[in-house]
Amino acid sequence: MPASNPPTAPDLPFPVFQVSSQVERYLLYDINTISWLRKTHNILGVLIGTLPQIPQQNIFLGLPLELQPEETRLLVEKGLAYTVNDLDRHTQDLASQTPDQIESIRADLYRDGMELARELERNKQEQTREALKKLRSNSSSTTNSDSTAGPDPQTQDSASETTLFDSPSTKEPTQTKPTINPKPWTITPTTSYPPLSRPPVPLFPVLPKVNPSSYALFAHLHGKGYFITPGIRFGCHFSVYPGDPLRFHSHFLAMSAEWDEEISLLDLVGGGRLGTGVKKGWLIGGVEEKEGEGGDGGDQAEKDKEKSGGAGVRTFCIEWGGM
Amino acid sequence: MQELWAQRDTRPTTTYTRPPPAVMTTPEATKPLSPIKEPPRPSKPNFARLYAKPFPLNTYPLPPLIPHNAFSVLHIAFTYIYHHIARASSHPKIPYQAYFSPETRSIHVTDQVAIRALWESGFFGKGSLSRSEPTWLDREKRRRGLLANETSEEVTRQRREERKKFKKERARKEREAIEEKLKEEEQSKQNSGIATRTARARYEGIDGGPVESLAKSIEPLIAEEPTNFSDLPPMVITKQNGVIEEKNPTATPSQLPNSAATPTQWTLEPEAAAITNQEQLHLTPSEAFFLAYGLGVLQILDPKTHHPLTISALFTLFRQTSYFPPRQFPTLSPDDPFLVDYITYHHFRSLGWVVRPGIKFAVDWLLYLRGPVFSHAEFAVTVIPAYRHPYWRSSEALKQETLKKERKTWWWLHCLNRVQSQVRKSLVLVYVEVPPPSALATCHAGDTGVVDIGRFFKTYKVRELTLKRWIPNRERD
Repeated sequence: MPASNPPTAPDLPFPVFQVSSQVERYLLYDINTISWLRKTHNILGVLIGTLPQIPQQNIFLGLPLELQPEETRLLVEKGLAYTVNDLDRHTQDLASQTPDQIESIRADLYRDGMELARELERNKQEQTREALKKLRSNSSSTTNSDSTAGPDPQTQDSASETTLFDSPSTKEPTQTKPTINPKPWTITPTTSYPPLSRPPVPLFPVLPKVNPSSYALFAHLHGKGYFITPGIRFGCHFSVYPGDPLRFHSHFLAMSAEWDEEISLLDLVGGGRLGTGVKKGWLIGGVEEKEGEGGDGGDQAEKDKEKSGGAGVRTFCIEWGGM
Repeated sequence: MQELWAQRDTRPTTTYTRPPPAVMTTPEATKPLSPIKEPPRPSKPNFARLYAKPFPLNTYPLPPLIPHNAFSVLHIAFTYIYHHIARASSHPKIPYQAYFSPETRSIHVTDQVAIRALWESGFFGKGSLSRSEPTWLDREKRRRGLLANETSEEVTRQRREERKKFKKERARKEREAIEEKLKEEEQSKQNSGIATRTARARYEGIDGGPVESLAKSIEPLIAEEPTNFSDLPPMVITKQNGVIEEKNPTATPSQLPNSAATPTQWTLEPEAAAITNQEQLHLTPSEAFFLAYGLGVLQILDPKTHHPLTISALFTLFRQTSYFPPRQFPTLSPDDPFLVDYITYHHFRSLGWVVRPGIKFAVDWLLYLRGPVFSHAEFAVTVIPAYRHPYWRSSEALKQETLKKERKTWWWLHCLNRVQSQVRKSLVLVYVEVPPPSALATCHAGDTGVVDIGRFFKTYKVRELTLKRWIPNRERD
């Protein structure tokens, strides 16, 4: 239903669900929010849900969507989202519902299910009618073509007209009949909010914990309009696409590093080979430390702040020359 | 028979000079080289004969104790008695000599006989001017038109040229196919009058659909043909009144620089035949230590004093220089990069593998079954020190340091694994279990204070783990 419509902007800020206080994984359940994020904010995440009947499924996954900590942090910093502890919040909200509220939720679900069932029934009948109509017109056309050899075209035409005219009248009672009692569908809501009322926005947003260097690189590349997916299967932090991954191959395999981090020469060789072997550039980036800035912990907070915006990030591309 | 024995005895010293391509001769048929000259074959030399020895050592197998006739009994008796009286040495009379180079932290062999010996029996080292086998002299001769054989570097270059041409051709075909398809779609659109919204059509307006972007990204890669600048006449571009003119100052063909003429004059020069070989063989510390300590065929000289270094001096020197900048003696520990690398090297060499450095595949060592000339490396070995001994976690500071040393990221592993699967090698993680520092103290030979290296090495343990990326959909049989 809503998936086929163009995504509409959700009420901002929207909640992102952290699995629990121990598990730092961020999930989104609302399909509208997910497609809106993808369309307007270049945030992709990874779909991780399988069907309950096919738990071994590993491609074409569905809801929920897991956001990388970097993505979540970016959304929180932009004021688009806030994090909610899913486990605590869910149990607490469910427990605090009064019987009336529970009843009204049930009634809503029943009503939605009934509506769905009715619509389906209506569609079914529509299709049957169309099919019958087609059948009739087909048979009439064949009789028409035969009619050149047949006795009288005039009588044939009138006969077909009468049947055409008759058909709606005969169908009418069947059309009105299903509105009486179709069996309602059972609906399992994919989101908890709604039907429950939304958790309140915290005054001070909790920022997800991220690796500062990889987050700076992420923010930098995202700010340049790239689409970014996790690159663990390629052996890098991010794979970077120039547009939606459904339309483009990735251009870079990005790896982040601290400015003064020692990088093993073997890692450089491996990275260069990795990228060039699949016609991509192996990109390494980090926040440049200006002179006189390093050292004291006093300006650490300022540095973090600078890093968080993806400012001062420098990137380098390495290719393997001998292939 | 004595003559035959003497003949076999002297054989190893003569094999160091590269024999001409010859037919395979069985060891039994080692007659004095027949005067019949084989016509020079353009095919590759007989590798099985050329690289027959796995190590630069000579072995003298004793005949089996099966007397076939009266003479063979005599022969067997003579051989055994001779062996007991004057046993032939497996080692060369004078050990091969090499210099330690502290700047490059490698060991250089300059003697051509030693270079050939070390390369041909065991594939040790790398030519300083070549990719692996020291072939600079051959290439240089070929360049000057004195030799017809191709070296492996040239084969590779030729293959790369061919591949480049093939890719260009393929990209052209792809482009043509795309244009054809576009034309077809255009026609069908006009014919039917209905705008066919194919996936292709949707990408048309956008710069780079999935196919096109790929083709486009390939294009610049293959477009850059190696242009021989000396062949091109110099162009002068002048801008006059907004009109750009291209002028060729040397328009007449007689004035064109004849690039082909100069090299031929070069090659005809007679002194070209006397080329001094400027190539050296570079050994890694592990290789050199294996040759010096493990086999005892190499003598490593101090670059300043030109005196040979003792094994224990080498042991300390290599441990020190495996750090950058080199560390002083008291700070050395049993997990020095040199020690961990050498343990792995020695382990696989003693199992019969030909072990060569694997930096080009981002690993520590590559394992060849017989050698790089016979087949590609089968395994890529990466060395990881493991700290299982309780000493390494005895104090909090030490524990933190050990954890830091042990930590490798998943990204690192995936990257390495992908690189290896691209080149069809199996990745082997070799865990070297590092003993506590006290192990070195207990390994002194007698009271001399000299480390018993063999005993110390025995305190290390090696575990191997083979890793493969397994994709259920692709590996279904």
